[in-house]
Amino acid sequence: MANHPETELVPYVRGELAPADRERVAHHLDDCPDCRQDAEDLRELLSQLTRTAPLPPALHWGRWRAELGEKLEARRARARAWWWRPLPLAFSAGLAGVVLLLAVWGGWRTPTGVESLTMEEAMLGGRFGLLQQYSVVERLDLLEDLDLIRNLDQLAGTREG
Amino acid sequence: MELTDEALCQRVAERDEAAFDLLVARYQERSYRLAWSILRNAEDARDVSQEAFIRLYEAAASFGGRAKFSTWFYRILVNLCLDHRRKNKGWRLWVREDEDPGSGESLLDRQPAPARDPVDALGRERTLSALWSAVDRLAPQQRAAVILQVQEELPTAEIAAVLKCSEATVRVHLHRALKTLKQTMERR
Repeated sequence: MANHPETELVPYVRGELAPADRERVAHHLDDCPDCRQDAEDLRELLSQLTRTAPLPPALHWGRWRAELGEKLEARRARARAWWWRPLPLAFSAGLAGVVLLLAVWGGWRTPTGVESLTMEEAMLGGRFGLLQQYSVVERLDLLEDLDLIRNLDQLAGTREG
Repeated sequence: MELTDEALCQRVAERDEAAFDLLVARYQERSYRLAWSILRNAEDARDVSQEAFIRLYEAAASFGGRAKFSTWFYRILVNLCLDHRRKNKGWRLWVREDEDPGSGESLLDRQPAPARDPVDALGRERTLSALWSAVDRLAPQQRAAVILQVQEELPTAEIAAVLKCSEATVRVHLHRALKTLKQTMERR
């Protein structure tokens, strides 16, 4: 016999099935001795479990209620602490945000064009010892300004003359 | 006239302490027993049952009244129990280890007013122990379904609402669980 109503046996023995389903299962049980036996076994097992459900160790209910009251009060106090102190919380959060932003911005910041040129010059200067002779380099600038470099040949001729 | 659980819950949402106390009085024993049945540890059951009432107090406003209050509250409680078990090394065997040290109570001692034949007492004790040990070894959802059915006597539809699954799923859980229990008892 196909389609044994296995999962319907518990609701059947407990009288929970809708009338049409109960009728169908009952009809099946009439014809199927295995399912009938299963239904009987389930009925007996459920009955035994219901009768013998172990009881928990006894509690002192007064103490239990007092503990519940304390826990509830502690939870309320925590909730109040959260809502009654919004300013320090907002301030701390804001400060943390600013610090984080600065850290991230500082870490990610790449040198600008001017800064990279200055760095390059410094490196080259260091390599060629120009910075050690900075006073000479400074004077070269001054000579340029006075347009003397362009007339060096003339200057040389004047000296020779 | 006595207020319904649902009406009390609405008052709890409006922070009516007396309504909360009434709900606690109505459900404290049930919640502790159910938590203990799932956790099998008195201390954990005490903490979890208290936590369930705290959650009830905090979330009372979200109780829409569409479901029964008991279903809604059991859902909070069972979820807490299952979460607690997940956090605490999962599914263990502890029929004996959880019992309070020194209590010396056997499973039979905890049965209400038994009129038993002393000759059969030992055998019955062993049978019950084996049966409930087998319940302890069931998968969490199956175990919760069995306990809600046999202990709280909830119908399948309500168990489905508590466990947040379909009725068909609950039927499968119960079928598999009871089949396992039956096989365990047959092997003895």
